[in-house]
Amino acid sequence: MIDAVGSVFARIGERGYFMRDIFRGLGDPKTYGGETIRQMRNIGVDSLPLAAIVAAFIGAVTAFQTRYQLFGGVQLSVVGLISRQSIILELGPLLTGLVLTGRVGARMTAELGTMRVTEQIDALETLAYDPIAYLVVPRLIAAIVMLPILTILANAIGVGTAFLTAILATDVTSTAFSEGLRLAFAPFQIVYSIIKATIFGAAIAFFCSFEGYNANAGAEGVGRSTAQAVVIASVAILVLDALTALLLAPYLQG
Amino acid sequence: MKKRDDVLVGIVIAVAVLVAILGALWLARGGLSKGYPLYAKFPWSAGLKQGQPVLLGGVNIGYVDEVDLRTDGTVLTTFRVGKQYHVPIGTTATVVANGIFGDMAVALTPKAPNPISISPGDTVPVGPSGPGIAQLTSKADSIATSVNAITTALNRELIAAGGVRDLRTTIAGMNRLVAQFSTIAAEQNRQLSATFASLRHATSGVDSAKVDSTVKNFREASANMNLLSEDLKQTSMKLDSIVAKVDNGPGTVAKALNDPGAYNDIRALIQHMDSLIVDVKKNPKRYINVKIF
Repeated sequence: MIDAVGSVFARIGERGYFMRDIFRGLGDPKTYGGETIRQMRNIGVDSLPLAAIVAAFIGAVTAFQTRYQLFGGVQLSVVGLISRQSIILELGPLLTGLVLTGRVGARMTAELGTMRVTEQIDALETLAYDPIAYLVVPRLIAAIVMLPILTILANAIGVGTAFLTAILATDVTSTAFSEGLRLAFAPFQIVYSIIKATIFGAAIAFFCSFEGYNANAGAEGVGRSTAQAVVIASVAILVLDALTALLLAPYLQG
Repeated sequence: MKKRDDVLVGIVIAVAVLVAILGALWLARGGLSKGYPLYAKFPWSAGLKQGQPVLLGGVNIGYVDEVDLRTDGTVLTTFRVGKQYHVPIGTTATVVANGIFGDMAVALTPKAPNPISISPGDTVPVGPSGPGIAQLTSKADSIATSVNAITTALNRELIAAGGVRDLRTTIAGMNRLVAQFSTIAAEQNRQLSATFASLRHATSGVDSAKVDSTVKNFREASANMNLLSEDLKQTSMKLDSIVAKVDNGPGTVAKALNDPGAYNDIRALIQHMDSLIVDVKKNPKRYINVKIF
């Protein structure tokens, strides 16, 4: 029992040291500057089609299901309101985060894990490079910057497909949907979505980089670390989503 | 390759920032145009927030730009109205509920159609506000309190004080009474049926021809009685007339009946007649002298 508790604290401590190293690496922009753009392309631009497809379907389904959940007498503009709130406040950032955990996080862990087991990271240390500043910090910055960008675009695509679905596949008019879309809107709702996406981006990069950076030897170790990274990052995203809602939701009404 | 990465990343970031800004502006204002400002000082803003709609005649013409609680306790509200819209002079502003989700809006209500518009930067007079969610909730709360009091009283009277038990006992008694009444009614019904059967049996023995004849005789007798009655009535009237004539008329009989002198004369005459008869009896020869030759 004591060993188990001690093991949990040891794991937390390892991640604490890793975070300290990241902060130390941030002080060396020459090392991570060039790599950051490449990672932003990899994490952001290359993930855009996947994030867009997911957002498009989520927007369409949200609008369609919202329309047919309404009981008689409720204004149809509510479809626009609920679609906007669902997509911007929750589905946009959360699903983009989860999708990117699978696409980007797994790749991040596998890359770093392979570098670890093939001793490339040790080689970087030998060449007096800070491996965290060169390998982890660019990924972290790229994820923190690009996930909100992808989330904004996913939100726009989701709301757009919700609009099209509502007016083409249901009896909701474009006027009613637009009216609901603008009802009770506060600019902080977009900021809230961006804050969530930033936190999720940081979580994906941090947990996936850690698991890859500390992968055990062999192909099996890399595979195990990758699977573990995806699970940890996904759970972390859900937990952080709940915490963000708990802390920031009261401010959504302005 | 690196250059291409920079460009792609830059494009994606720029597009996303543009989408965020334009989307937020469209959602908050309905467009890029800021419109012209108008002001209103509300004593109670009912949770009015920046970005909420401004309605003129129910049509969205702008948005709330700023809500500022002043030191004098009033809420100075700045709202932006689209340049294509004009607010007529005499319009009043009120804070109204917009939809069922507690959203609020500024409603501009013109007193009458007026071609002259309020100038940009003017303050719109505040109109009377309708009942808000808070007032409706308060009313519902007071109703709920009353219902609760009634329920408590009913609970006390009907349950705690044994009212329901008494009611049940009464109902059980009523049920027994109704059952007794049913028994009695059934018995009465049976007896009545027997009586009717006996009566039917008795009436079936009567000769209907005789009954008809008797009834006919009764009718004739009744008609005769009517005629007799009429005759008696006429006779009575005639007798009344005669008596009246006798009593009041100028004739001898009336005088004899009504004049006391005549009465006295008649008595005296009778007395004289009596004495004459006595005398005649006594001395017949004085009065009767028969000579044959």
